[in-house]
Amino acid sequence: MPLPQKLQEIVDDFAGMSREEKIETLIAYAESLPPLPERFAEERAKMEPIPECMTPVFLFGEKQADGGVVFYLDIPPQSPTVQGLACILTTGLNGCKPEEILAVPADFFTPMKLEEAISGQRLNGFRGVLAHMKQTTVNLMEA
Amino acid sequence: MTYAHPEYLVETEWLAANLDNPTIRIVESDEDPLLYAIGHIPGAVQVDWFSTLQHPLRRDFLTREQFEDVASKLGITNSTTVIFYGDKSNWFACYALWIFEYYGHKNVKILNGGRIKWEQEKRPLVKEAPSYAKTTYRAKEADKSIRAFRDEVLAHSNARKPLVDVRSAKEYTGEMLHMPNYPQEGATRGGHIPGAASIPWSQAVNESDATFKTTGELTALYEGKNIKPDSEVIAYCRIGERSSLTWFVLKYLLGYPQVKNYDGSWTEWGNLVDAPIEK
Repeated sequence: MPLPQKLQEIVDDFAGMSREEKIETLIAYAESLPPLPERFAEERAKMEPIPECMTPVFLFGEKQADGGVVFYLDIPPQSPTVQGLACILTTGLNGCKPEEILAVPADFFTPMKLEEAISGQRLNGFRGVLAHMKQTTVNLMEA
Repeated sequence: MTYAHPEYLVETEWLAANLDNPTIRIVESDEDPLLYAIGHIPGAVQVDWFSTLQHPLRRDFLTREQFEDVASKLGITNSTTVIFYGDKSNWFACYALWIFEYYGHKNVKILNGGRIKWEQEKRPLVKEAPSYAKTTYRAKEADKSIRAFRDEVLAHSNARKPLVDVRSAKEYTGEMLHMPNYPQEGATRGGHIPGAASIPWSQAVNESDATFKTTGELTALYEGKNIKPDSEVIAYCRIGERSSLTWFVLKYLLGYPQVKNYDGSWTEWGNLVDAPIEK
């Protein structure tokens, strides 16, 4: 299955960028991550942040009437890299059908060559958030 | 009671008044590499623990010549006072300081409280990256007295000399093999090096503003776990970054004479064939 169109466009955009453009664009994504909607506040308060060096990522998913899934995230501003990577995922995947989300390969971001801008180790954040989104999608399908 | 070597710290107030001081170079070293571009202390340059300080090929950090090149491009001379700061209570700032010290740089300091305190005090942050004229920098021979390698760690453990495991409690007990979602930085076995005391690094800093705890609190913390100044101490974590903060605390705040950081840490030990493990 091909990547969802919006996500594919983002991947293609990054592929053609210089290192500086990648950094600027990632920051722009980080800054455009919308705040978590109020209706999740109660659930958010019940979740435990992950201890130690992990960035605490809170992720919620909702099923839309048309069967698509929309994700909402809460990530602290002290972790702009994780915010930026997560926002790329929500921008590229929000509204997609569960099967499209589950079909996104874990290494879909390889052509973006993000390691030119941020160390390859930090790209684990991408894998982590995507895995989290897939798990949330599975839970929504079972619900 | 003051720290054993208070000259290894600067306070935010001092730094704010010394931003134009030509004898210093401010260096930001973060866990999150985008923070510098979003805003940094005026005049600060950036090093990234991975892309700037690691060897491009093997698991090691820069060679002496590569380090000289990095220092030179950052406009650092052999007599520059280098002041490190960063996010996450300065772990990667301490890691960068440790590498500078490994190559013999004198006059290194940590900004007490790092980015967190600077931001809390609403001090200026700028986006513009400064540029400094390239210098001629000469590094010294690597100082192995502050870096432990695996054979030495094994001998140390066998001799029941003090080891400090600064990872979280669940990593120490082996319940958690790697940090969630960081499988590439993981190990195939969980647990800790036999004889190691569990003293998570974060206990050395105040949660409120990321400054270091007082001498009294730190002494109680380490001596309470039998980590004493009269012995050789080795600290480790997962990849050697959190333990460089503990190394800094033991060596410069408490003045322990013989402290080493084992940067191979759990990602080496937990994968090492035949290495003894305790759970």
